[in-house]
Amino acid sequence: MASTTRHGLTSALRGVPKTLYTRQTQSLQQQFQSLRLSESAAVTNGCRCLTTEAIKAAPEVDLEALKTRKVHEVRHARAIPASPGYFSRVAKFNDTYIALEKLLAQYGNLPTIPATEVERVQWRTYSDFATGVGEKIRLIDYKRCLAIVKRLNQIHPKLKPAVVKTALESFKREIQAYKNVPKPIPIDKFGRALGVGKRKSSSARAFLVEGNGEVLVNGKTLAEYFGRVHDRESAIWALHATGRADKYNVWARVDGGGTTGQAEALTLAISKALMAHEPALKPALRRAGCVTRDPRRVERKKHGHLKARKSPTWVKR
Amino acid sequence: MVRASRWCGCWISKNKSTGHLQLDDRRFGEKLIRLDPEPFQLVHDSYTSIPAMIVRNFGLRHGRQVLAAPSSCLVRAASTQATVAVAEEHRAVSASDAAALERIKARKLKLEIQKMPKAFMKKQAYHKETHKWGSQIERRYVPDEILRNPPHDASLEDLMAAQVHMGHYTSRWNPANSRYIYGERSGIHIIALETTAAHLRRAARVVEEVSYHGGLVLFVGTRKGQKPIVVRASELAGACYLFSKWLPGMISNKDTALANGDVVVVDELDRPLEGFEEHLQDRRPLSPDLVVCLNPLENYVLLQECAKANIPTIGVIDTDADPSWVTYQIPGNDDSIRSISLLAMVLARAGERGQERRLADAREGVVKWENPREVQQFILRAKSAERRKEKEALEKAAEELEKERKTSERLTDEEILEKLLA
Repeated sequence: MASTTRHGLTSALRGVPKTLYTRQTQSLQQQFQSLRLSESAAVTNGCRCLTTEAIKAAPEVDLEALKTRKVHEVRHARAIPASPGYFSRVAKFNDTYIALEKLLAQYGNLPTIPATEVERVQWRTYSDFATGVGEKIRLIDYKRCLAIVKRLNQIHPKLKPAVVKTALESFKREIQAYKNVPKPIPIDKFGRALGVGKRKSSSARAFLVEGNGEVLVNGKTLAEYFGRVHDRESAIWALHATGRADKYNVWARVDGGGTTGQAEALTLAISKALMAHEPALKPALRRAGCVTRDPRRVERKKHGHLKARKSPTWVKR
Repeated sequence: MVRASRWCGCWISKNKSTGHLQLDDRRFGEKLIRLDPEPFQLVHDSYTSIPAMIVRNFGLRHGRQVLAAPSSCLVRAASTQATVAVAEEHRAVSASDAAALERIKARKLKLEIQKMPKAFMKKQAYHKETHKWGSQIERRYVPDEILRNPPHDASLEDLMAAQVHMGHYTSRWNPANSRYIYGERSGIHIIALETTAAHLRRAARVVEEVSYHGGLVLFVGTRKGQKPIVVRASELAGACYLFSKWLPGMISNKDTALANGDVVVVDELDRPLEGFEEHLQDRRPLSPDLVVCLNPLENYVLLQECAKANIPTIGVIDTDADPSWVTYQIPGNDDSIRSISLLAMVLARAGERGQERRLADAREGVVKWENPREVQQFILRAKSAERRKEKEALEKAAEELEKERKTSERLTDEEILEKLLA
């Protein structure tokens, strides 16, 4: 048996070149591997069988790729401007502007809501938009464009077409400050509200709890901590102004800056905590000047000056 | 529920099953506060018999968040009223009255806004149903009618109706226009509309053929009010527009002035072609192949540049303009928007026809335009590179074949057996 096989094989392969021999055996091996035994089928059927699952269909012919001709196969080709505004200095901007005008002509009859009721949007500034487009747009043209944008934005939100919405997107700033809502200050299980206030370079944290008017600043009483009467008064001005000086206890930590800064940082901190306890006091506190953060800082010193603005004394030669 | 007390328009009640207390604002049907029984006990100890006190303390202790929110006199009363001085109180009351009015107004407005979409739809439906009823309204003059439905040709009546025949004061005339002038009436020159119509048709033919041969047409109208005209014309004719000032040098110094312009390469059916990126980086900017100028008087620089670059121009020549500035004159009134829009739309329609004809022919395999020189050179270069590559590949294949033939040795029987057994 072995001898006949041996004889048959050798006679079959006799006279075949070396390279061809290896290629043929390789392709035979591949074909056999594709007809491998399927293990999953064997488990489910309880018997071993040959499957052709490894043979996969050829990948789909990409018709699009066939369509794209290579340059040397192209017979007719000409160059045309990408935009009809090619010869105006601000082609992209003009295209946007004209598109907006068309939208307005098309959807201008949709009902609008008053400007005060529209959700506030921060539109891109002139310089931001101009750098984004990369063209030298005139300010007046951008203003006209923005007027159309604002008018389109006034269309009732439920009737605003998707086209308009997408067109307006490119005029919105990436970061919308109006969407930032301050977190409400919670009152914890001990009845405390924590307010944080800053002024100049000081910052203060004040815990406000219902009580009988005790104040502790950095572990000291108000009189111990603030030497000036004015500072003492301004520190708890929020409570004084609303007549709550004997209704709450304050425990505060203050750091940075001087006495005035610390005292006024404390005003803000306490008023914020007080608003957490009694939100209805906000108008009264605003009248008392306890709601707004004072953004002023020390003005920097300039060269040629002794301080920020003080000039050296004039000396004749 | 047990009704405990009525105070300040609100009800305080106790839930029998849970023992919770709650404050109801009956006017708005809102449940304002719901309280656990335990803190209530604490409060109850200090102010035993005064329900108002209890309520106030509820407000103070537990209702802060709720009270902060909307509209109720409870807000005012529970938080500020008790301890603020009398004068302050009056001010607060009047202020909050105004605030209440404001709130009512705001609520009304909100309701109105809510109803808007429905009302609009209703109105639309009503209009759709009824707008054809009643008598036929006489056709009136619609200013942008010409732009909405552009005419393919202009008859003498159309030209007359659009006031194309009106020239300038006789004293302002340019004698070169004498052949276009019909006569003089009440101090102004009247343009001969037969001439205008003939010239307009000739110009339209020029635009059509330039478009048909794949040329680039530029519509220029830089006067106030001409913007929609040139935009519409360019839209129809697949051309370019210019409604702002012509930047001097856009033709004569185009390498600098138009360096940033975006250009695409398209085939005979106007489909964008790929593989020309290198060409687009190297190529020079485009120039128009035909310029249609609606106000030649203000565009002397443009027309001069065109003349120097051998670019044909079409212009509307009023009685005060110089007809030698443009290649193809259309005598007519260039000061009226209506007249200009009529002339421009006829030309634009001609351009549209040209484009349509070109595309229809291309679909049947007829292409009447030649590739621009720069593009053709690029294609030829690509072709020769491809040919070179093919040649190299052929040579390589031949070499390999030769090598194979040399190395092919016959296998011995022993070697075959060895391989099979391995």
